[in-house]
Amino acid sequence: MNKNNVLNQLPRYLLLLFVALLFLIPFYLIGRNALMTDGEITSLHWAWLSPHPQWGNFSALFHDTAAPMLTGLANSAVIAVVTLVFQMLFSSMAGYALARIPARGRNVVFFLILATLMIPGAVTFVPTFAVMAYLGGVNTRWGIIAPGVFSAFSIFLFRQFYLRFPTEIEEAGRLDGLSYFGVYWRLLLPNSTNIIMALGVLTFIASWNAFLWPLVIGQDPSAWTVQVVLSTFLSSQKLNLPQLFAAAAVGVAPLVLVFLVMQRYIVEGAKFSGGKE
Amino acid sequence: MPILQKSQADRSATFAFWAFVTPALLGLTVFTLVPIVWGFLLSLSHAQNTIHPGHFIGFRNYADLLTDEAFLKSLVTIFVFALFIVPLTFAVSLGLALLVNKIGWGRSFFRTVFFIPSAVSYVVASLIWKVSLFNGLPFGFVNHIIGLFGAHPVAWIGTAHPPWYWLVLVTVRLWLQVGFFMIIFLAGLQEIPKSLYEAAAVDGAPSGWPVLRYITLPQLKATSVSVLLLNLIAAFQAFDEFYNILGGSGASIGNASLARPPLVYLYSLALSNQDFGRGAAGGFILTALIFAVTLLQGRIFGFGGSEK
Amino acid sequence: MRRNSVSLLQPAASAAEWHGSRRDFLRGVTVAAGALLVGCGHSDVPGARVTLTQWYHQYGEKGTQEAVVRYAKAYTALHPDVAIQVVWVPGDYGTKLSTALLTRGGPDIFEGQITKPMVTAEQVAPLDDLFPPAVRSDFSARDLAQNSVDGKIYGLKMLDDTGILYYRKSLLKAAGIAPPKTMNELIAAAKALTAGNRKGLFLGNDGGVAALINVAPWSAGGDFLVDNKIVFNTPQVASAYEKMRELSDSGALLIGAPTDWWEADALVQGQAAMQWGGLWSYPTIAKALGDDIGGMAWPALDAAGHPATFLGGWSAMVNAQGRHIEESKKYLQWLWIDGLKIQEDWCLGYGFHVPPRLSLARSAAPLQIGVAANAVKDLNIWGRSLPPEWNSAMGTALADAVTNILKEGRPAAPELATAARKCERELSRLLE
Repeated sequence: MNKNNVLNQLPRYLLLLFVALLFLIPFYLIGRNALMTDGEITSLHWAWLSPHPQWGNFSALFHDTAAPMLTGLANSAVIAVVTLVFQMLFSSMAGYALARIPARGRNVVFFLILATLMIPGAVTFVPTFAVMAYLGGVNTRWGIIAPGVFSAFSIFLFRQFYLRFPTEIEEAGRLDGLSYFGVYWRLLLPNSTNIIMALGVLTFIASWNAFLWPLVIGQDPSAWTVQVVLSTFLSSQKLNLPQLFAAAAVGVAPLVLVFLVMQRYIVEGAKFSGGKE
Repeated sequence: MPILQKSQADRSATFAFWAFVTPALLGLTVFTLVPIVWGFLLSLSHAQNTIHPGHFIGFRNYADLLTDEAFLKSLVTIFVFALFIVPLTFAVSLGLALLVNKIGWGRSFFRTVFFIPSAVSYVVASLIWKVSLFNGLPFGFVNHIIGLFGAHPVAWIGTAHPPWYWLVLVTVRLWLQVGFFMIIFLAGLQEIPKSLYEAAAVDGAPSGWPVLRYITLPQLKATSVSVLLLNLIAAFQAFDEFYNILGGSGASIGNASLARPPLVYLYSLALSNQDFGRGAAGGFILTALIFAVTLLQGRIFGFGGSEK
Repeated sequence: MRRNSVSLLQPAASAAEWHGSRRDFLRGVTVAAGALLVGCGHSDVPGARVTLTQWYHQYGEKGTQEAVVRYAKAYTALHPDVAIQVVWVPGDYGTKLSTALLTRGGPDIFEGQITKPMVTAEQVAPLDDLFPPAVRSDFSARDLAQNSVDGKIYGLKMLDDTGILYYRKSLLKAAGIAPPKTMNELIAAAKALTAGNRKGLFLGNDGGVAALINVAPWSAGGDFLVDNKIVFNTPQVASAYEKMRELSDSGALLIGAPTDWWEADALVQGQAAMQWGGLWSYPTIAKALGDDIGGMAWPALDAAGHPATFLGGWSAMVNAQGRHIEESKKYLQWLWIDGLKIQEDWCLGYGFHVPPRLSLARSAAPLQIGVAANAVKDLNIWGRSLPPEWNSAMGTALADAVTNILKEGRPAAPELATAARKCERELSRLLE
């Protein structure tokens, strides 16, 4: 890439800038509307920004008992973190066993996991609901969390990761008298931070943004996630536009933050789960 | 290693193996395998207002759905949607990856801008698209912009002629997922050996289209196939943006009827109408369809594994 | 459509209306924190022997949530061993309710519209012993029919709702038109009142499919499901929908407004000159527009038709799988049968609804004047509803046909024939 190429690249930059602007419009709209009064949003005279930013929209949002945003945020946070922790733990354990522990039945188990990978999750929602109702998980946070903890996909990705893990380290550990568990806990897990971060952030995002399952399971407002609260705004409330966008901003902000801070890992995770690694 | 010790090692390995896979296996059994079996039994039952299989009616739920105009129309709808969204996502994410890959300065800035919509949920994006971006009144953003050029405000969502709602539905998914696939393409691009391009330059191949056509794209084949596959499977399971923009059943059913994908139809059949038998049967039909389309795509483009 | 959609089409609350006090806020935080620690199970209230869970959908009118909580507390004050936990459910109430009824943790008492499968699946308890002859004769025959399946009463009507075609008197006068009496006059009026950024008529953001899918054919003398027979596949119904298409194509309909037909915003904010809405909104509209408002039933299709409107509303029911059926029935009897004062407060204190108790409806002062009086009169003559055998699958089939007719411009007769075939299949599934 030469410096004198910059002029040649001008059209490329212009095109990218244009597309980038398009991509940023929705974020701009959230911010713009969240800080306006209802009258300003629906005004026939377009204002690019409110002359008097309405920060009160946010405190109004948190005082609103009909759309329990605080409960939603708390639920989403708990659900995303618990899902993340347990999914990483169980998937890495299973991935390690499938990659590294020679045992009878291993191929059968691997095939079984691959088979569940082929079944689209969204399609089994009705029977999963039936099972959950039977187990008494409707209207509970664990009912929202549990199915998301077990991911055939991340087991598969952990297996691929551990397959390429240098055998020397593991063998050295075995010679030092470490059990399989010891090897996993002392050697593999500490060396898996990259993949755990990468997949973990993606799991966190997916869990925070999940909609269909929390909608079906979380019937009582006390079990609603942020997404369900937001959808409630959209589907049935007499629309209070400023508050709606304030809620959207509150729902999006934590993830944008996670995204900016963890971007390196997310990029790795995206590549990894897209089969490019 | 002496034989006796080996069999002991075998046994401890077997024990360790099962100890390690049991939590995951148990969870997958309870939340994936059992639901599949339960769902299959439900799909053979007349399960009205109940989630317990029992009143078995053979394959009538399947037969009823496959002769149900609304369900068949939902399959057509999702094909049309996939026809729009899959090639568009492919082209835009590849295009952006090529552009971003070529530039030196500002690469990570642009990558972030295109990728960050992936952090936004379908619910929030639908809300912005419906209420602000493509609002039907003059204060909608797009209506404001076209108003600057003298056009009248357009009702983007509620009318069939022209079917502007497709523009709304396709752009929202495009915005949400293009960044993710762009990242995958970028990774693919960086794996292409520089020597190939150098050799092409030595051979006097002009840069631009021929290089793209004969070096870059063939080298990206594996990536392309996995992008297509992920994209296609996701498109067939579309629910969130349709449910939130057009509506489910109820308030704006006249809009929902315009373009109802299978999952929205099954949701209203199972959860609004409480017919869990047909809801489950529909899930299996949709799964079979996704399998078929995936296999077909594998036939045409290969699965991407062998080329690597 | 009506039966299942009513639950979704009811007035929904404004977030802004529910600004609680600081104490509410703190309580909310405490409840959230508590829920985090102990899970979301409904814990029993200390001191009470029995806690009944009662679900309401989210009413839009200010003060309604406080009102139902007040009623519940008043009952506990009289019966200290029974506590009532009111759950106020915004969002897709119908789906959430029917799903909750499948599980062991469903509400003891809930409001909704009775459907036949709910009875077949033994989800609702019969309430006949709450209706001795003196009480029974104080309900209209239509309200009783709406809540009965195979001769037993399962729902206790809490309020009657009806639809009104509102219009701005001043705008009609300025345009020199009289309130439309037929669909042709309505179409002409809607066109004449469309000017600048104002549209002539608002029927909801899907162009009136959800709001008028039943009312429009009723105005042509048609119907949908009578004596377990699908009866909408007729030339009358077809012509009613084709007339609706003419209205759709006129360019005079407002589409894409922020709120839907069950809120009065489009009318009050001047986005439309006429609007199909509910009697419940009348207090809001009258407050905003004063005398500049008129109202009537949906106009007749033509000279052979007649005005039409719907009889909607909500009924209280008892979960047959609940643990406290008798206590629940006692509470309902106190709330909606013995408590005439409560019914008066509930139906007239917030939005306007017609009290289902005939004695009360006759004496209710706010319903004796103006637009409200007209609406009550129209409801009594023309108000119709769909029977408990009509379900949401039939509603979807009909809505698909109507969308095709109104929006895609397809001929009505074949679309209705298709929908009727589908509905007949659904009906036979339901009755088996």
